[in-house]
Amino acid sequence: MDGPLTRTAALWRKRDVLALLVRRDLKVRYADAILGYVWSVLDPLMMALVYWFIFATIFNRNVGEEPYLLYLLAGMLPFRWYQHVVTGAAGAIKGERLVRSTALPREIWILRSVFSKGAEYVFSLPVLAVFIIAYRKGINWEIIYMIPAALIEIVLATGLALLLSAIGALYRDVDRVMHIIMQFMFYATPIIYGLNNVLDNPKMPEFLKVLYAVNPMTGIVSLYRAGLFPAELHLEMVLSSIAGSIIALVVGWWVFIRLEPAVLKEI
Amino acid sequence: MVAAVVESRTTNAPIISVDDVGVQFDRQARHRGVRELLIKGRAGRTTTTFWGLRHVSFDVQPGESIGVVGRNGQGKSTLLKIVAGVMLPDEGSVTLRAGVAPLIEMTGGFVASLTVRDNIFLAAGLHGMSRETIESKFDEIIEFSELGKFLETPYRHLSSGMRVRLAFAVVSQLDEPIMLVDEALAVGDQPFRMKCYDKITEILAEGRTLFFVSHSAGDLKRFCQRGLLLSHGRLIQDGPLEEVLKTYKTLPPNGQ
Repeated sequence: MDGPLTRTAALWRKRDVLALLVRRDLKVRYADAILGYVWSVLDPLMMALVYWFIFATIFNRNVGEEPYLLYLLAGMLPFRWYQHVVTGAAGAIKGERLVRSTALPREIWILRSVFSKGAEYVFSLPVLAVFIIAYRKGINWEIIYMIPAALIEIVLATGLALLLSAIGALYRDVDRVMHIIMQFMFYATPIIYGLNNVLDNPKMPEFLKVLYAVNPMTGIVSLYRAGLFPAELHLEMVLSSIAGSIIALVVGWWVFIRLEPAVLKEI
Repeated sequence: MVAAVVESRTTNAPIISVDDVGVQFDRQARHRGVRELLIKGRAGRTTTTFWGLRHVSFDVQPGESIGVVGRNGQGKSTLLKIVAGVMLPDEGSVTLRAGVAPLIEMTGGFVASLTVRDNIFLAAGLHGMSRETIESKFDEIIEFSELGKFLETPYRHLSSGMRVRLAFAVVSQLDEPIMLVDEALAVGDQPFRMKCYDKITEILAEGRTLFFVSHSAGDLKRFCQRGLLLSHGRLIQDGPLEEVLKTYKTLPPNGQ
């Protein structure tokens, strides 16, 4: 059984293949659909509009920040990336026929999904830009935090996807369970409301605040939003995200390596 | 074959070493415990586990062509997968000293919604061919697959015969020293099969190593000098193909 260093070296040698797989995914996604690009943007945009309508018009919203639609999009777009990788992870190895005919390092199928979903996130950023301009919202220098935020998200998503792809190839339920868990996590992460609404809320029990800190996406989303909404940024949450993401990668990879022989017999 | 003999003399190290390989399967997936898989790396000793392969050892010298013989369910495909590196042994080890061109499940790398042209670049790239190499071999691939008129056709519109032709045309262009061939190759019509046979003969003449799984004594005799006979996951004979085939005929159905 090879160690992480040997495996990383093997992956690095196959980086061209990884790039090819990512390009293939993007090509397939936009190959047949006339509205190809529009589809990948329309879904999060519709959801953001729905939340904006419900909370800003129907309810008397007192959470989040202004402009609320921009606030929503800045959190929902990166969360969607994470959500797609994690819910798709159970099928990342099991559903890939190439695993049966090519001896590529198996991690490549997970990285491929992290990066192609990541590319879709990047492609959705012009929408955010359009709303920034429309709302004449000023941008702070903290906007560069989007880069470390994306890096932490890559580590977290890769770790969880490694774990879930291995377990998901052995047990069928993983797929369904993750759909439910990720729906829950969308509301359990400060996206439609703000981190400050959690921390400054006198009715919020202390243990829930700890749970918010344990969820790595809390710090990641606040880091993504910092350029537009600097009050959202809490450094201790970001540090907790970094720690959580590294733990997820170490544990996920370890499980992946241990289960690999059993997984390959299943497919 | 002269080239092959010379090459096997000049290189002492075997190109494929299979050392005491064992693969354990579980008949019932429900008994699998994650904890045991994590701690021991494989399923625990339950009544439903069995060894699909065990104590299998052999070396292959560069330029040799090996035919794997055995009835259904005796471990042939498992052995091929182990050598291809798409399955990992629970015991023992496999060492490959050169790259492998796996002609198994060849159509796996093709994408239904993309055109034949796009698919050639993608599939060949996935198998490690550089863009320049693909471009230089593109015409040859098209000529071999006889799909010149379908370059802009989506892959999903091809017939199954066309798909296999395309896949074989791409994978057979790989410059790897070891070639693994599954019996799945035996699909397609007679003229195309003859073309595939000619291509394999051509590749063998270059001194490359062939690892071939088939039920057809004719195909095995055509390409292979050495035979491996598997029964109940054990390697029961390793020798000249003629002799291995003789023993194979004496085996009762399903190796009972």
